[in-house]
Amino acid sequence: MNNQPGLVNISLSKTIESVLNTAIRLDEQQGQAFVALEDKVIQITLAPVQTPLYFMFTHYMVSVQNHLTGEADAVIESNLLDFMTLPMTRQLPHTLVSGEPEIANQFITALCGLDIDWEEHLSHYTGDLLAFKIGHGLRQFIQGKQASKQSLGETLKEYLQFELNTLPTQSQVNRFKAQVTETQAEVDRLAERIKAL
Amino acid sequence: MSQNKSTIDFGFAEVPLEEKVKKVKGVFDSVAGNYDIMNDVMSLGVHRIWKRHTIELSGIRPGHVVLDLAGGTGDLTKAFAKRVGKTGRVVLADINESMVRVGRDRLINEGIAGNVEYTIVNAEALAFPDNTFDVCTIAFGLRNVTNKDKAIEELYRVLKPGGQLMILEFSKVTQPLFAKFYDFYSFNILPKMGKLIANDEASYQYLAESIRMHPDQETLKQMMYDAGFDKAEYLNMSEGIVALHRGWKY
Ligand SMILES: C[S@@+](CC[C@H](N)C(=O)[O-])C[C@H]1O[C@@H](n2cnc3c(N)ncnc32)[C@H](O)[C@@H]1O
Repeated sequence: MNNQPGLVNISLSKTIESVLNTAIRLDEQQGQAFVALEDKVIQITLAPVQTPLYFMFTHYMVSVQNHLTGEADAVIESNLLDFMTLPMTRQLPHTLVSGEPEIANQFITALCGLDIDWEEHLSHYTGDLLAFKIGHGLRQFIQGKQASKQSLGETLKEYLQFELNTLPTQSQVNRFKAQVTETQAEVDRLAERIKAL
Repeated sequence: MSQNKSTIDFGFAEVPLEEKVKKVKGVFDSVAGNYDIMNDVMSLGVHRIWKRHTIELSGIRPGHVVLDLAGGTGDLTKAFAKRVGKTGRVVLADINESMVRVGRDRLINEGIAGNVEYTIVNAEALAFPDNTFDVCTIAFGLRNVTNKDKAIEELYRVLKPGGQLMILEFSKVTQPLFAKFYDFYSFNILPKMGKLIANDEASYQYLAESIRMHPDQETLKQMMYDAGFDKAEYLNMSEGIVALHRGWKY
């Protein structure tokens, strides 16, 4: 089935979503620059990744996903490397394919205003995951940096814990452990009582 | 799975029809408090990926009206509420008050309010007008519904033309070897974990059994066509441990 977003795509959309929301929360302006985009959808393709991402702005901040029913309010084409160097260049070369130019501009301006080290967040995607999709060019470009930055273990841990939020938190694990210990103690007590019979 | 006999499966035990509703309620009453943690531990967190998949594929957008049926503690409701914005609306509907209460408190704590409604309903008789929702979801809920055909018909009725139903549910594991392991896990490990975490072995035994009694991928797809859906398809996740069925009303 072609319309199934793979794990890679889900993981990319989810990462961009979390990173953006964190940045907006930390932003001095609290994301004021995005307010004009409320209830709007922006479609952006970041070549060489072919599947578009949809950015949706609501009063709960940003959501990013791979599918959309209906049309976006603005459709933009750009590329991933430009996106990742955004914090340095403070501009995102792009083409407006269709939709409202004003919305597209507001989106790009707001995005450029945020202090996000996209490269840090996305390099292991491009390295580890996207590479399957987008071939060798970008992979080699990123690999040099990535090898020095992160061991596979770290990447995996981050991938599981932060990006997909899949693991129970430490406190949940502790509670679980405590419950196991408690049960163990009960079993022991029971055993004692049986012995005493 | 015949819906006409006077008894119906409750897990593997056959019980009179009206009793199943009560028993299912009992199960969720007893797990409500620990439900979220249990979900994480049991699926090793994978249920979040299944749910994220579902949200991505819904194509949801600001302004949409969504029904999260059997919404329980509100995982999907939360994600949808963030996406439909002020102009949209999400209805979390569930038969069990305890689950809805846990869900509502949790969502309000996380700042999700204003575009979410909570309501107690039985999936077999939805208290909504025809053609109300853009997206309807029922995640890990259909398994517990006594008359599934009726519930799917109701979901079809309340969908707007062009709307999409998404049924996320445990299904039939496709890979034989993995199926063996999964059976062992479900019947030996899972109830024990239920006992440890929630001190509730029986409920998780029910869970394992009810999964096996649920219609498989093809059967459920046919049930969707029978209920009136104009297009239906499914997607296996994690080797078919879970399947996402999607149906469209045109
Ligand atoms: C396993 S929970 C799933 C909750 C949530 N959708 C999730 O994915 O985390 C199943 C839910 O189905 C609800 N339920 C069971 N039978 C139902 C019925 N006939 N109508 C509506 N909800 C029902 C239960 O109360 C419970 O909250």
